[in-house]
Amino acid sequence: MKPGSRAAHAAGAALLALAPTTLLAETDAPETVEELRDLSIEQLAQIEVRSASKQAEPIGRAPTSIFVLTGSDIVRSAATSLPEALRLAPNLQVQQLDARQFAVTSRGFNGAESSNKLLVLIDGRSVYSTLHSGVFWELHSPLLEDVEQIEVISGPGGTLYGPNAVNGIVSVASRDARETLGGLVRGTAGPRERTLALRYGIGLGDSGAVRVYANGLDREDLPAGPAADNDDAFAGWQAGFRADLGKGADRVTLQGDIFDTDIDTMPGDGDRGHNLLARWTHDFAEERSLRVQAYYDEYRRHSQLVTDSLQTFDAEAQLNARFGSHHVVLGGGLRTTRDDFVNNLNGFHLEPQSRRLWVVNAFAQDRMALTPKLDLIAGLKLERSSFSGVETLPNLRLAWRPSARTTWWGSVSRAVRTPSRIDRQLVFLPLLAEASNFESEKLIAFEAGYRGQPGLATTLSVSLFYNLYDDIRTTEFTGNPFPIRLQNGLEGRTYGIEAWATHQLSSKWRASLGLAALNKDFHLKDGAVDLANRASLGADPDYQVLARSQVDLTDRLQLDLGLRGVDDLGTSGLGGYVEADARLAWRVSDPIELYVAGNNLLHKSHVESSDPGRAQSVERSVHLGTRLRF
Amino acid sequence: MAGPVASSPWRLLRLLPAASALLAVPAAAAAPPSEVAVKAAFLTKFPAYVAWPAAARPRPGAPLQICILGDDPFGRLIDEAARGQQVDGHPLQVRRLNAPGQAGGCHVAFVQGSGPAMLQGLQGKPVLTVTDARAGARGGMIHFVVHQGRVRFHIDEAQAARSGVGISSRLLGIALSVRRP
Repeated sequence: MKPGSRAAHAAGAALLALAPTTLLAETDAPETVEELRDLSIEQLAQIEVRSASKQAEPIGRAPTSIFVLTGSDIVRSAATSLPEALRLAPNLQVQQLDARQFAVTSRGFNGAESSNKLLVLIDGRSVYSTLHSGVFWELHSPLLEDVEQIEVISGPGGTLYGPNAVNGIVSVASRDARETLGGLVRGTAGPRERTLALRYGIGLGDSGAVRVYANGLDREDLPAGPAADNDDAFAGWQAGFRADLGKGADRVTLQGDIFDTDIDTMPGDGDRGHNLLARWTHDFAEERSLRVQAYYDEYRRHSQLVTDSLQTFDAEAQLNARFGSHHVVLGGGLRTTRDDFVNNLNGFHLEPQSRRLWVVNAFAQDRMALTPKLDLIAGLKLERSSFSGVETLPNLRLAWRPSARTTWWGSVSRAVRTPSRIDRQLVFLPLLAEASNFESEKLIAFEAGYRGQPGLATTLSVSLFYNLYDDIRTTEFTGNPFPIRLQNGLEGRTYGIEAWATHQLSSKWRASLGLAALNKDFHLKDGAVDLANRASLGADPDYQVLARSQVDLTDRLQLDLGLRGVDDLGTSGLGGYVEADARLAWRVSDPIELYVAGNNLLHKSHVESSDPGRAQSVERSVHLGTRLRF
Repeated sequence: MAGPVASSPWRLLRLLPAASALLAVPAAAAAPPSEVAVKAAFLTKFPAYVAWPAAARPRPGAPLQICILGDDPFGRLIDEAARGQQVDGHPLQVRRLNAPGQAGGCHVAFVQGSGPAMLQGLQGKPVLTVTDARAGARGGMIHFVVHQGRVRFHIDEAQAARSGVGISSRLLGIALSVRRP
């Protein structure tokens, strides 16, 4: 090739490449590498970037009380299950009920049945149950080593999230298959639990990859607590795959899981299910992107003559676009569920036993830059359920960034928990009758917060909230006196603070501290009674404190220590507790890691829940583990 | 994790993914750098940590060549990142090429488009090949990924060794994974 034509070609290539950059520059801060030139290679590796995919999904950017648990925080911790990993988030309260069941909430209402105001997403798939609006955590055993991050938002999720995002959102994101090539074997063994996990990822064509995994666990029974011993030992497995394909403007993800677990309660008891999800993201020019996702999910829980099954099909689309100083998100979704609840144990049943529900929603949000430092976010979501009608969910937020290291934010939002099947259609005649007039539980939330870097080595987040609730569930006489019905007789408020800080003591030692404090103040509305004695409000500690230290003792030795203090559970009479977890890991060689880890180390056993039907004593547990990568 | 104390402030940013994402709003003067800018900066830093066989080293004073093969995601960013930079007295020069056959004289080759064919053309040659997870599966000696909101990379030291390219332990130390020879 002649030098001239080579130069012309180079110029052409440069011009083509410049085109998108130039367009971007018109709507965004000027693109520059100036400030990067003087950084060391290690500093470059640590700098947070605006990634293309993040821009397509501005959900995590909402000025809100968000804590992000990174994959490395999780694999460095002593957690062996998803709900245990959630103990690392200061804005979540986790109660272990027995060997397999957990109750998790944010900003109050904790308990197996009352923690029904949380939205939990696993790679975009909503996993709360339409039976009681709660989450059966024991149905989800993703491979923790393949988790990219878990976003935990306390407070209403605003406009962009799906139904049930009232008190908080937990969004688990697994890593792109292209980042999990090769093999991983993890095994742990201890007197309380054994686990074994395998994963293998391979490239697909020149731009894709797929991984398959299997995760098995075998957990021992916990001794009796407030509830009699309930044979809670369980064992099972979950397996699945994730494929990521495409490059540049079009990216496709296809993933699925299948699981099967056995419980000791009665022969044949256990849970099984499977799901399949497809997601397509398309980037248009000029920062406009479209994401379309659909999934199918099915599970069947069977225990003590009760069978609960749920099939969900969900499809949703979201369009992100930037016009000048406006960043607009438009979207909508359709979900249909079919449930079936068979109770051969006692007289409680759902009327009808099986039902199909439809939920459609549409939302719009605009994030506008009022000034270079002040953003206003206004959003509205309309949700229509074939079960309970139309709900309007507006949300208004302000974000002020006086400097690059500081964000102040405030918000007002409305959220609702729409009726579950139990709320409206649980029947045990002549005692309990269906309540077709049971309405959504409503929340208007006022929040304000600060997030920033007060010092070079310190990060701090502080959030305050004031929540006004109405129409919270009560159990009332509606006959003479029977039958009783579930009604909306409670109203009240909660307020509190969540704060967390991290300090980098040296390049190898990080310490963090977290606090959540909550005040609850509820009363019965005129004429209302509550035969359930406010069970729907749950049992919450006034405060919990988390402290954590992560040290790299040497290049090959890691030590993580965590301490959590949880106040007593108020009216339930259950005392508070302080517990510790620890993990010491030795990287024998690059592919081999050995570790010893323990949970709840300070006491032989303690109790985390006052649930008279479920809560067992949580015991100290220690395990040895290894991870091999090849 | 290895890394000088000086990197602490940057490392801290990772604790604030949401906060830093907040900064990424339109017209924010303090926006964090884009993914592509950081990759461009990396490309110009790599040569300082790489040893080429004597025959492939640039002559004294001659430029060290960073080549973009095929699609160019960087535009002027890579030119800006390379401007005025020197490695062992060699100025950095950015070239844009359409085929591996033109890659004679390249010391670093970033290959994004039509990956395998391009890469095969460079196989066994003393060129530090760099690929990107955004564009395809692993293939280059260094493979960029975005990991927990940061631009990181995997290193295939085995492949580099086969081509006679040595990679310093400082670079290996910050790789997410290293495939040893």
